[in-house]
Amino acid sequence: MKYFLISLTLLLFGCASFPKKNNLESISGHTPTIINPYFSDLAMDYIYKAKINFADKSFGGIFVIKKMGPEHHRVVFTTEMGNKLFDFSFFKNEFRINFIPSEMNKKILINLLRQDLFVLINENPKILNQYRKMGDSIFIETKLKNNTYFYLTADERLYKILKTKGNKEKSSYIFAEIENDHAKEIKIRHKNIKLTIDLKAI
Amino acid sequence: MRNLLFLAVLIAHTSLLFAQESNMNNTEIAEFKAKINETSKVTSTIQSNFTQYKHLDFLSNDITTQGKMAFKAPNLVKWEYTEPFKYSIIFKDDKLLINDSGSKSNMDLGNSALFKKINQLIVNSVKGNLFQDSDFTMSYFKSPDFYKVIFVPKDEKIKSYIASFILFFDKKQADVMEVKMVEPTNDYTRIVFEDRQINKPLDNEVFSN
Repeated sequence: MKYFLISLTLLLFGCASFPKKNNLESISGHTPTIINPYFSDLAMDYIYKAKINFADKSFGGIFVIKKMGPEHHRVVFTTEMGNKLFDFSFFKNEFRINFIPSEMNKKILINLLRQDLFVLINENPKILNQYRKMGDSIFIETKLKNNTYFYLTADERLYKILKTKGNKEKSSYIFAEIENDHAKEIKIRHKNIKLTIDLKAI
Repeated sequence: MRNLLFLAVLIAHTSLLFAQESNMNNTEIAEFKAKINETSKVTSTIQSNFTQYKHLDFLSNDITTQGKMAFKAPNLVKWEYTEPFKYSIIFKDDKLLINDSGSKSNMDLGNSALFKKINQLIVNSVKGNLFQDSDFTMSYFKSPDFYKVIFVPKDEKIKSYIASFILFFDKKQADVMEVKMVEPTNDYTRIVFEDRQINKPLDNEVFSN
């Protein structure tokens, strides 16, 4: 029985959730109206100079995000000279490819981009739990498909989104140089996939 | 009276609009082509500033970028963006030499017939020399200020990428003033040239990364 308890504890400890592993303290209370405000202004054209690295390929270009209506965004990536490399629409849970040249039309790449871009534009994920970490960060927990996401805020301002599975961090989305709900720098990093996206507002 | 005046102004404007552009006849086309050939024969270098307007229908404003273009006969072209970011791209043989704010890379176009064709188009449009190309259907227009030629690709694959190339030529020199690449969705990229300098010495070094 003793051994059973020890092994059970070990098992539980080994499979500890992300909050437990990171010593997050569960809290309840005020939740912000918009959790991710960085692409929420209908009047704004969000334009970024982008660098995308995928496997051993590197694409430079101009990255455009526009909010078209409630839960409706258009995301376009062009080369510096203006040729479109992709043009996607997100409407609620629907995803539409408006344009992609055959050279970029790879299912694996499209799925990765779709996941990452949805995280960027999703304004109001459903809040499952809230945690506080030593210091000031609040972690807001939400779920998309099989992954748990944590929205990290400080002073009620989102600065990072973590995608996790089990207790492991899979991807991070970092918002920096924030002015009036406009994130001038965004970085997307993955632990196991060779895809990085760097955006700088122009 | 006020209404009459308004009507008169409206009619004047409308007729002005109609007067702006008309088809060229066959003699005019032949003369125009001869002029272009003459100009491109004596052009060994071009250096020019440019402003690029990327128009996407769903945006409130066009995305505006600026820079310098350099061309050296027969086939060297460099686009250098200076505002709002630093980026340059050199078209050299079948390669693109890219300098993205200091990080340099080469892209081999050997495998991509489509990109190769598009780059060749860009190089030729700078020279104003797309007329030998049997890959296009061309239509010719004139206005008091410019000649305009619309190039529609015959190849379906290119057409799915660029529906038409429109070149605007200066009437006196037959220089390219503006290039417009229209996508099938009617979004477009418009490049307007300013302060063009012809045949000013240009070092080959400019075209290395």
